[in-house]
Amino acid sequence: MPTVILMDVSLSMTRPVSLDGGDEFQRKNLAVHGLNMLFEHMASNYRLEFTSLMAFSSLWELLVPFTRDYNALQEALGNLEDYDKTCVESALTGVSSVVQQEWGSACPCQVVLVTDGSLGIGKGSLRQSLQSLKHRADDKKFPLPFPFPTKMFIMSIANAEELQATDAMNNLEELLHLSGGDGQIFTMEGPLCMKSVQAMFGRLIDHAYSPFHAVLHCGNLSSDVQVFPRPEPIVMDEEVDPMPRSINPDLELVGFIEIADISSPPVISRHLVLPINVNKEVDEVGTGATDELEEEPSASQMAGKNPNFCVLLHGSLKVEGMVALVQLGPEWYGMLYSQADSKKKSNLMMSLFEPGSEPLPWLGKITHLGPISEAAENPYGEDDSKSPFPLQPSVKRSYAQNVTVWIKASGLQTDVQKILRNARKLPDKTQTFYKELNRLRKAALAFGFWELLKGVADLLERECTLLPDSAHPDAAFQLSHAAQQLKLASTGDSQYAAFDHNIAPMHTDFSS
Amino acid sequence: MKIFSVAHKTVFVVDHCPYMAESSRQQVECDVLTKSRGQGVIPLAPVSKSLWTCAVECSMEYCRILYDVYPLHKLINYVVSDSEFHILNTWRQEDQSTHELMSALAAVGPPNPREDPECCSILHGLVAAVESLCKITELQHERRTDMMDTAERVANRGRIICLTNAKSDTHVRMLEDCIQETILEQNRLAAGSDRLMAIQQCDLVLVHIHPQGEEPLVYDRPKKEISSLLTSEVHSQHYDLASTTITNIPMKPTLNVCEQEEQHANTSANYDVELLHHRDAHMEFFKSGDLHMAGSSTRENGLKETITLKWCTPRTNSIELHYCTGAYRISPTDVNSRPSSCLTNFLLNGRSVLLEQPRKSGSKVISHMLSSHGGEIFLHVLNSNRSTLEDPPSISEGCGGRVTDYRITDFGEFMRENRLTPVSETSHDPSGKLPAERAKSQLERHTRYWPMIISQTTIFNMQAVVPLANLIVKETLSEEDVLTCQKTVFNLVDMERKNDPLPISTVGSRGKGPKRDEQYRIMWNELETLVKTHAGATDRHQRVLDCIVACRSKPPEEEEKEKKKRGRKREDKEDKTEKNGSKDADDKSWQESERLKGLLDKEEPETEVIKDSPDSPEPANKKPRLSIEEVPPPERAKGPVSLLTMWSNRITAANSRKHQEFMGRVSSVNNKFELYQQLKEENGMDVHENGKSSR
Repeated sequence: MPTVILMDVSLSMTRPVSLDGGDEFQRKNLAVHGLNMLFEHMASNYRLEFTSLMAFSSLWELLVPFTRDYNALQEALGNLEDYDKTCVESALTGVSSVVQQEWGSACPCQVVLVTDGSLGIGKGSLRQSLQSLKHRADDKKFPLPFPFPTKMFIMSIANAEELQATDAMNNLEELLHLSGGDGQIFTMEGPLCMKSVQAMFGRLIDHAYSPFHAVLHCGNLSSDVQVFPRPEPIVMDEEVDPMPRSINPDLELVGFIEIADISSPPVISRHLVLPINVNKEVDEVGTGATDELEEEPSASQMAGKNPNFCVLLHGSLKVEGMVALVQLGPEWYGMLYSQADSKKKSNLMMSLFEPGSEPLPWLGKITHLGPISEAAENPYGEDDSKSPFPLQPSVKRSYAQNVTVWIKASGLQTDVQKILRNARKLPDKTQTFYKELNRLRKAALAFGFWELLKGVADLLERECTLLPDSAHPDAAFQLSHAAQQLKLASTGDSQYAAFDHNIAPMHTDFSS
Repeated sequence: MKIFSVAHKTVFVVDHCPYMAESSRQQVECDVLTKSRGQGVIPLAPVSKSLWTCAVECSMEYCRILYDVYPLHKLINYVVSDSEFHILNTWRQEDQSTHELMSALAAVGPPNPREDPECCSILHGLVAAVESLCKITELQHERRTDMMDTAERVANRGRIICLTNAKSDTHVRMLEDCIQETILEQNRLAAGSDRLMAIQQCDLVLVHIHPQGEEPLVYDRPKKEISSLLTSEVHSQHYDLASTTITNIPMKPTLNVCEQEEQHANTSANYDVELLHHRDAHMEFFKSGDLHMAGSSTRENGLKETITLKWCTPRTNSIELHYCTGAYRISPTDVNSRPSSCLTNFLLNGRSVLLEQPRKSGSKVISHMLSSHGGEIFLHVLNSNRSTLEDPPSISEGCGGRVTDYRITDFGEFMRENRLTPVSETSHDPSGKLPAERAKSQLERHTRYWPMIISQTTIFNMQAVVPLANLIVKETLSEEDVLTCQKTVFNLVDMERKNDPLPISTVGSRGKGPKRDEQYRIMWNELETLVKTHAGATDRHQRVLDCIVACRSKPPEEEEKEKKKRGRKREDKEDKTEKNGSKDADDKSWQESERLKGLLDKEEPETEVIKDSPDSPEPANKKPRLSIEEVPPPERAKGPVSLLTMWSNRITAANSRKHQEFMGRVSSVNNKFELYQQLKEENGMDVHENGKSSR
């Protein structure tokens, strides 16, 4: 989930912070300190996150486009300049376009807005933006909610009392609400100082940037892993089940399925599953071991030499072309598979299915998937030539069962022509003739379209009179028999108009 | 859409009063004459549908699309109203099919124009519809029972679609009032019942059906009234449907399908097919405002808008795993038209098609895929944006990434054995566990002892151990399985006696690695570890363990100790096995297995020799070799060991660590190394080779 840091560089951020003696700081310094701390944390623990830095005042500027280079981000923080007044609306419009340009509109994003709670004055101020919310033209809509799912974190370089003294807190709360509500406002506790800003960013890190650690189990084999990005709790149906579901830190494999059988299933999110060494304080995720010195084997190199279940699993999934079905929680499943980034690099990836007992109709209920050893004979066949998947639905879909639809006249005409075409090829086409005739008869009876039955009966009688001399005598018999049966059905007489009744070919014998 | 939105329950109320027998005055020419037969034949008069037929057709088309796109949890109850009401089906899932409804409709037949119009009214049906909405569905019942304390979260909403011919605005108002009253009345009743639920929301859709060309007697009001031939407008609004037109479908790939339909191969043009599906499949377009770029167009009939996607070649293969963010069932708008059926048959044959978004810039963006799964066609939404997971560290850079001898092939085999298969819901397991739980238990059993790398294991590198290793993980063993396991053990004993080399990894150890007897000790230990983890499961598992404990060679130190304790006294075999911790019962099985072993290896007389007995003579075929042996082979040191032997063994061991052993000697059998073994192998002759044969 990419992050946009939206940094307020208006003049009010340069307000000095009063300290009991010692150095004098500006609020901006506090904000930069907090962000540096965040970047350092991400560099070591959340390395794969793409982050961009935007500065805004009455205008906005993209200082660092999305990157994993946290040095570049920190460097840019060091070179911030001061500008005029705060204008949140235009900055958010900027965020919207930057994110969509990079990631499209489906990718969830985190926005960290760092501001001092003085939200501008007059035109372009947040207060004014929010007041005019309801009466705006379509082309000047407020940028929130963003088209992409958003988590907005507002880091206020001010304490709650200061924000509540004006309407700033209310405005920020409304902003948060407009963003979709999935975020939080962080304020500083106690006096404004380095310590309290650290504490505030610490809370943000715990809340949104702590790595998700889990244990992947396959029976007695297991591996400690980091799941990246963090799987977020989701709500399925607000009305019936409003409690958000989170994935269980114990990921249990259930079994294995061929890629062709799972067949590109829809997923709600994808995550890298990275094996980690829990003994170490700092995760090695993303750092690799390339920049380490050869002489002293680093912890990560040591870890590289210990067999890890993830690597084994990944290797076999890749070779066999299979996925592993994994249980994420009660009635919630996902799949593990090998994902190749390029020819050389590949990784263990986990995709989450929609929560529920039957996320993929073609697999059926996941709880009813059992080991093949229970089956009387191997459902995959001795030579892997068969598969028990996909499951067939109990009722065929309309396009798979030759339904009759006459809403357009052409549908009806085609069906009648089909009968006539076969009628002219009697007795060779006797079977098809009656099949088509019965299909038409059934539909006409269901639709209460008795007039059609009479019409087709007349047509068949006419065909009978038009038969050439060379025609087989059976043709005439079958045609008049069919016409008579249709006429009887068109009376609605229950004896002849039963839906499940079929007109059978007349039994004739010309062999003698 | 919420689970229990108004779309969960829909009641169709179709007017069956005499006036519905009237003609719609829309004429259908069903006698289309071909040129060659035109002369002299008077075409038949066109037929026209009655209002009733129109109403039934519309409602059935509605049901068809609904059941295609939402086969579950979107239910329809069909009511016909004349002098009384006729309910044609129930909310139950098995009643939800067009075939059932058609059959019931055929039984009802068209309205009788001679019936007394005074007795007939749509009101009967509407009252029945409200009553029906109060009835609880299977899903509502299930959810209510599931949630217990929060059962009130299950809502009861529904929709009534009434197809009738309204006389006037007052008539419509009267119908509305009637429904309102009935709802209040029914809700009172529902409060006191378990099988009924009060209606929280009810949408009424009145479809006014009138003959073509006649002025409608009622005009559009906030509620919808549409003329006799438009149906799809209603669909899209009720079920969040959207439309996609697949364009540029080439004739060629679907040709063989078309040919079956007696296609006259005269058209080579590409064709288009329109599909209906859930609106979310277009989410990306709506959000990005790309709608017009993506080629949406506004049309006169059918859905207001459709999005055009282009058929894309080359086609995809099934072993590719696409990143798919959604999959939605589809239904063709014109199901039995030739283009539609060509496309659907093509897909139903198991092929998938990628679809491309036409873009002005000319860049190719693949955004969707059509694919069938078990007779159902889905529109998959593929992710076409940049991934936030790009350029991740390779798995080889992380933990365990430097290890090169993972048992990848063996784990592949393991995965294939642990594949899943649907188990019917009725099959009952005595443990009461669901199949998926049983699958997990199987994984647990199969991984009790599972070394991950080749150099960590000996037994799994030996073909000879395979039968036992495959069987011991089973939940229960048959008598036959036990025999196979025992046979495996005896085979190993034989190998040891013949001094066959073991595929022990020399990785990490200097020099030639452990000596042969040490190798066998490692192998036996490992085998024992494997079997011990399962021994507790059943008596038969335990018997396999007992067999190993009884047959395996003992570590030399242990034997030394025994020897010292006992001096040179020849103790009875029984005594010895007792020392090994075997119980009486096992002893029997041990003896039995010895007997068996004899039977199994009849062709080799020396197998009668029991290795545990120190006095047994050397096997006959080995005697000649004694002459070239300076010392008895160490692994044969089961007899009395002289001080000299012990001393020289130690010296040899110490020396051997100082130099790399000659290849031939390392893999020698009784200090004899057969040359040109590979030639023999190529000639298909039997060579003692206990490593895994190449697979």
